[in-house]
Amino acid sequence: MAGREHFRDVAIIGAGMIPFGRRDEDSLMDMLAYASLNALDDAGMGDQTVDAVYVANMGGGILQHQTAIASSLVDRLSLLPAAAETIENGPASGASAVKNGLLAVASGYYDMVLVVGGEKMREVTGWRATDFVATMTHPLAEYIYGVTLPGMAGMFTRLYMERYGVTREHLVGVAVKNQEMGGLNPYAHVEMAITRQGIFDSPDSVVNNPPVADPLHLYDACPVSDGAAALILCPLEMAKKAKKPAVLIAGFGQATDTQTLQEREDPTDLKAVTLAAQQAYEMAQVKPGDIDLAELHDAFTILEIAESEHVGFFKKGEGGKAVAAGKTRLGGQIPINVSGGLKARGHPVGATGVAQVVDIVFQLRQEVGKARQVKNARTGLTVNFGGFGNNVLAFVLRRVDS
Amino acid sequence: MRAIEIEAYQCKKCGKIHYPFHDRCLACKGREFEIIKPQGNAKLVTFTQIFNLPWGFDQRFLFIGVAEFENGIKAMGQIKAESGENLKLGMSMKPTWDAVRYQAGEPVYGLIFEPLG
Repeated sequence: MAGREHFRDVAIIGAGMIPFGRRDEDSLMDMLAYASLNALDDAGMGDQTVDAVYVANMGGGILQHQTAIASSLVDRLSLLPAAAETIENGPASGASAVKNGLLAVASGYYDMVLVVGGEKMREVTGWRATDFVATMTHPLAEYIYGVTLPGMAGMFTRLYMERYGVTREHLVGVAVKNQEMGGLNPYAHVEMAITRQGIFDSPDSVVNNPPVADPLHLYDACPVSDGAAALILCPLEMAKKAKKPAVLIAGFGQATDTQTLQEREDPTDLKAVTLAAQQAYEMAQVKPGDIDLAELHDAFTILEIAESEHVGFFKKGEGGKAVAAGKTRLGGQIPINVSGGLKARGHPVGATGVAQVVDIVFQLRQEVGKARQVKNARTGLTVNFGGFGNNVLAFVLRRVDS
Repeated sequence: MRAIEIEAYQCKKCGKIHYPFHDRCLACKGREFEIIKPQGNAKLVTFTQIFNLPWGFDQRFLFIGVAEFENGIKAMGQIKAESGENLKLGMSMKPTWDAVRYQAGEPVYGLIFEPLG
């Protein structure tokens, strides 16, 4: 990318979130405010202001009938007269807001930026929430047929299984691993550990784990969640003076692909994931083998497997086997989604991309507790997947000791 | 039987077929397209049976798939089936045009594929 050599290095000096789940007592604005305050406090900026605020939210206009959310948030947080806007990029809104914050600081225009993402999805029925998420599909070529995001994932899974030998057992492996990790994460929506027997082997599994979008079953899908997460970004040189270790946004990438799956030459090829990761690796000057842990967008179990291949951790067709061999577990070759991922942490769509970065920051600062900590973690990767792979962002994050 | 109302767009410069519409060709950026209609039967590319339906669908499940017509147009549609047991990737489907959902009491028409043995 032209001109990047003039950019300043940008670091994260504050990270905070609120537990994801069903938060009937909190409004969307409450959640955004609580997560923002947690990040400000984490940065030691409890009584200070910021230059700009980027708010990630996908559905406030539809689900809460509320718009101009960023303007409302800066007022509520007494951050006036900070610049503020809302970023909407489907389920990748969170990472898009982080990107906007990154570029604003990197350019030298702003020094101190708050990035916060949030979504309140549980105040509508599942019927309505499913419809809301489906509004990102093509209105004439897809939406009218009643296709849902689980439906898109089901069609993708069928092809991936056929072509690359991914099995239901591999998918179950992702679900069991991520829910086990979710049980250790105080911010996770789903804290219930599940067993392979309960959702796959036993006769009861037919009842426990029914199909939702064949060949995907209930436990292959992330929950519908409420939640928010926030970050404070500033120039690396300023971050080095902070009390906590700075986390450098060492690399960033973003790429898009066709809106509909059927227009992709090979619908199993997630080109935008590959390109976003490649750009992020190149900017950070790392290779997939240099990554210590990753937060991948596992809205469906198949996506963790497919993304682990597309970002270069495993060859195509090897991702499922890697799960079965324990290579993606804590302590394995490349721990993936030790937060529980979207599968267990939850997926409040606007919050997810920010929460992935928050989780990596906590890990790189060695703050998550022994049971979930990746030993000696210094470099992490995030992948936030919008649409069905038509807008994907990746970040490489690196701990910097001053 | 209703005619299939889908229109696809073939780039006049390079011949690439698009569905749905794009303002510029995905291959060569050309802006002129010839409108073409789906021809013949369609081959099933992939499908799913959705059980958690969105608002507006008052039924237990729905089969949805992508199929490729004989002249290369690929499109999503509903599939007329009661079970997935007889659906196989690559099988031939007869395209029909009928109500795929109702909005404010009015039918919305779209593609419905009928499996051919």
